[in-house]
Amino acid sequence: MKRISVPMVIGLLAALFAVAPSVQAQQAKKPNIVIILGDDLGFADMGAFGSEIKTPNLDALANEGVRFTNFYTHASCSPTRSMLLSGVDTHLNGLGNMDEWIAPNQRVVDGYEGYLNNRVVTLPQLLKEAGYHTYMVGKWHLGKAPDQIPAARGFERDFSLLDGGGSYWDMTNITAAVPKSLYTEDGRYLTKLPEDYYATKTYTDKLISFIDANRGSGKPFFAYVAHQAPHDPYHLPRDWRNRHPREYDKGWDEVRQERLKRQVEMGIMPAGTELAERMWFIPDPIVLAPASRYILGKKMELYAGMVENMDHHIGRLIEHLKKIGEYENTIFIVFGDNGAEGTDLFRMIAGSPGTRDNLFAAIQWSQTHPKAWGDPGTWVGYGPMWAQVSMTPFSQFKGWLAEGGIRNALIVSGPAVKRAKGSIDHGLMHVADIMPTLLEIAGAEYPKTHEGREVPKLIGKSWNPVLAGKTESPRTDEDYLAWELFGNRAVRQGDWKLRWQFKPYGKGDWELFNLAKDPAERKDLAAQHPDKVKAMLAAWESYVEANNVILPSRGPYDTLEKDMPQRVTVHPGFPPLIYKRQFVPPKDMLADPKP
Amino acid sequence: MKPVAWMWLVVATMLAMGALCPQQTLAQVPARFYWDSLSDANAVPVIVNSMSGNTNPFDPSHTVTPGANFDATLALVGYARTFSLFDRAAMAAVLVPMGRISGEANVAGRTFNQSASGFGDPMLEFKINVLGPPAQKNIPDLLSYEPGFSVNLLADLAIPIGEYDNDQPLNIGQNRWYGRLGVPTILQIGPWVPGRRMTFELLPAVWFFGKNDDYVGQTLETDPLFQMDAHLTRDLTERFWGSIDGAWYYGGKATINDVPGEKLNNLGFGITLGYTINDNLNLTVGYKSTVNDSDPGDLRMDSFMVTLVFGWHPLIEGMRRLKEEK
Repeated sequence: MKRISVPMVIGLLAALFAVAPSVQAQQAKKPNIVIILGDDLGFADMGAFGSEIKTPNLDALANEGVRFTNFYTHASCSPTRSMLLSGVDTHLNGLGNMDEWIAPNQRVVDGYEGYLNNRVVTLPQLLKEAGYHTYMVGKWHLGKAPDQIPAARGFERDFSLLDGGGSYWDMTNITAAVPKSLYTEDGRYLTKLPEDYYATKTYTDKLISFIDANRGSGKPFFAYVAHQAPHDPYHLPRDWRNRHPREYDKGWDEVRQERLKRQVEMGIMPAGTELAERMWFIPDPIVLAPASRYILGKKMELYAGMVENMDHHIGRLIEHLKKIGEYENTIFIVFGDNGAEGTDLFRMIAGSPGTRDNLFAAIQWSQTHPKAWGDPGTWVGYGPMWAQVSMTPFSQFKGWLAEGGIRNALIVSGPAVKRAKGSIDHGLMHVADIMPTLLEIAGAEYPKTHEGREVPKLIGKSWNPVLAGKTESPRTDEDYLAWELFGNRAVRQGDWKLRWQFKPYGKGDWELFNLAKDPAERKDLAAQHPDKVKAMLAAWESYVEANNVILPSRGPYDTLEKDMPQRVTVHPGFPPLIYKRQFVPPKDMLADPKP
Repeated sequence: MKPVAWMWLVVATMLAMGALCPQQTLAQVPARFYWDSLSDANAVPVIVNSMSGNTNPFDPSHTVTPGANFDATLALVGYARTFSLFDRAAMAAVLVPMGRISGEANVAGRTFNQSASGFGDPMLEFKINVLGPPAQKNIPDLLSYEPGFSVNLLADLAIPIGEYDNDQPLNIGQNRWYGRLGVPTILQIGPWVPGRRMTFELLPAVWFFGKNDDYVGQTLETDPLFQMDAHLTRDLTERFWGSIDGAWYYGGKATINDVPGEKLNNLGFGITLGYTINDNLNLTVGYKSTVNDSDPGDLRMDSFMVTLVFGWHPLIEGMRRLKEEK
C-alpha cells in the first residue's frame, strides 16, 4: 500500500477546499419555489387570460414566464390540493371523495379517508430532505388531526386555515356543525387570530416573515401560498369593494363575450372559439330589471375586488423578493384550484327556517345588506352566471367535470422557464405534474418506499421539457388523464374528452367532445364516434382499476334532476317573445282617431 | 334577508325617513330630514307638536314674551315630492300648519289671557342637493346611494294667509311674509349599512321676516334670526334609529313700534327616536328643550313631537302589489 505523504495530504485538503465552495455555489443556485393557489379562481379571471379584472402582478409573472391554456386540476379544492402535494391520484391519496361527502360505500376504504393519508409522501417532505426550507400559508383542507396538519406533512413553518373556508376576518366557520375555523401556526392550533387579521394580508405577512427569518441559512425555500381568496364569502376591506362601480350591470353575457374576444386576441383561445351556452337556468340579463342587474352585478364587483386584493398582496410578496434579491432565482407557479364556484353555498349552509344551520346563519351570517357586503357576518357568492364568466369560454363550473369545473389558468415563471417571455402553451398539463417537475428541479428523488411502506406511483409527468421549450406537452396523444368526483367521471386523451355527469348537467350517460374544435363542449359526438367512445372507456376502466375508484353510493347530486329546472338547449334570440322590440309605425302613417 | 328584501327595506326607509319628510317649519326639523331619496316619490306628513314656553311656537322668529307661558298643540300636514333637477336631487313641498294655542301674554304692559286656533300660514319649500351623490333616478341609484359629504340648499317661503286676529298678540297666522335660507349638510360617519348608519348633520339657516304692521295695532319688525341645528344620529337596528339634537338661536331681535327688544342667544337640546313601521310609514318621536333659559328674557321653549310620514312611489307600490299577489 502506498504511503500517504504530507504533500499529498496538503494537496487533498486543498482540493477539498477548492471543491467545497463550488458545491456550495451549486447548492445556492437551486431556485426558490413559490406555488400560488387562488381558491376558486376562474380560468378567465386574470388579465393575462382575458379578464377585465386588474391583476398587474400576476400579469407581470405571465409576461415574464409562460401561460398554459390546457391545464387541469380537479373539480373541487381538496382533491386538487391532495394531488398537488402528493403527485398521486385522489383515490389513492385519501381524497377519493371530499371529506364532507364521503359516501356510505366509501367509508373506511383506503384512499377515501377525507384527508391526505399517510401512505403518500408529500412534496414539502421531499423538498425539505433535498435542502429546502418549506413554508405554507393559507388554506390547507387536507386534514385537521395532529398527524394531518401542515407541520406533520412536511412544512417547516406554517400559518394555515385547516378548514375549507369561512370568514376572512375571524374564526367564524360556515355551519353550526363546525362553528369555528381551525388555524395552525408552526404546528400549534391557534386559540385566536393575530391582531389586524385579514386572511390574504396576514398570509402574505406571515410568509414574508418566514422567508426573512431564514434568509441567513443560504438554503432555498419552497413556499405554498394557498390563498383563501377569492372563495366565497367575499370578505374584503372596504376600499377594495368599489373599484368597478356598476361595471357589471351590463350582465354576464356581455362580459363573457368581451373576455372571449380578448382571449382570442391574446392567443389564449383560438379564433372561432364559441362560448359555452348560457346555462339553461340562468336568464338572459336583458330581461332583468335594473335593480336586479345592479344587485347581481355588485356581487361580481366584489369578486373582482377579491381577485384584485389577492393580486395586490401577491405583488407585495414579489416586491419583497425583489428587495431581498431572491426574485430572479424564484420559480412561480400560479393557478386556481378548480373551476369557479357556481353553487349557492350560502343557501346550502343557511338551511331552512327551524333548522340548526339556519339559526347559526341568523346569528353569524345574516348581514345581507349590499352595503355591508364584504364585512364580517356577510356571505356573498356570485352565483352560476358569474361563475360562467370566470370560466369563459367553458361550460359549467366547480364541482363538475365539464371544462368549467376542471380546466384552469396556469402561469409558470422563473429560472426554470427557458421559453420566450410571455409565451403561451396549449399542451395538456395536469396538477399532479407539479410534484415530479419540482422534485426534478430540486434534485430530489421520489422514493419507492416511505417509512417502510411502498408509496403509490406518481401520476404526473415532469414539465421541464416543456418549460425548456422542447415540447408543448409532457404527454403524448396516447396518454390520458381521468377524473372522478361525486360520481361524475371524465377522461381526456389528446383532443378528446369522454364525460359522464349526472342529469341535468350531463346526460347520465357518456358524452364525447372534441375539445380542440369544441372547447365549450357544445356538441356531443358520442353517437358519431362509437369507436372513440369505446377506446376511451377502456382508458377509463384502466383508470378505475389502477386507482381503486369506487363510485359513491350517495352524493350531492342525487336529487338534482328533480330539484332543478328541466334542461333545454339555449339558443341565442329564443324565444322571440323576449327579444322583440316595440314596433314603431312610419311617421307619415300616424293619425288621430276620426270623430 | 335576501337582497331583494333589502331593496324593499331601503326603498321604504328612504321614502319614509328621507327627504320626503316635510319640514316642521315652525320648529327645528328632525334629524335625517334632508337625506335624499328616490326621484318622483311622494309623501304626506302629519307632524304633531305639543309645546310650551314663552314664545309663540307658530312664530319662527321666536319672539320672547317675558313672563308669558304658552301651551300649544300644533299639527302640520303637507305634501312633498322629490324630483331630479340638473341631475341633482330636489324636493318641493307645501305645508299647512294648524292647531291651537293658549296662554298668558304680556304686551306693552298689558296682560292677556288668550287663545287662538285654526290654520296657520302655508309654507312652500324647495331643496336641492349641490354637493354629494347625483339624483337617485332609479332603484340602482337608490341602492348605491351614500350621502358621504352632502350639501343642500334650502329655501322656504311662508304665505301670510293664516288665521290672524289683530286684536291679540297670540295668533296662528303671522300676518307677514317670512322665509328661510339654509344649507342642510350631512356628513356620513362609517359605513352606510342599515343598522350601522351614523351621521353628523348640520343645518345653518337664516330666517328673514317681513314687517307685521298690524300687531295689536302696532308694528312688529324682527331682525334675521340665525339658527343652527345639529344632530348626531345613529341606527340602533335596521329600522330603528336615534339622534341627539342641538340647536342654537342667535339674533332675531324684535322691535315693536321702534322699541327694540333683546336679541336671542339660546341653546336647546333634545333627543329623537325614529322607527320604520312598514314600507310606507315612518314614525319619529322627539323631545327638545331650551337649556340656558333661566332669565325672563331668555327663550324658553320645550316640545314633544310625533311625526308620521306616509310615503309612496308608483314603482314601489306596483312592486308591492306583485309581491302580495304571490
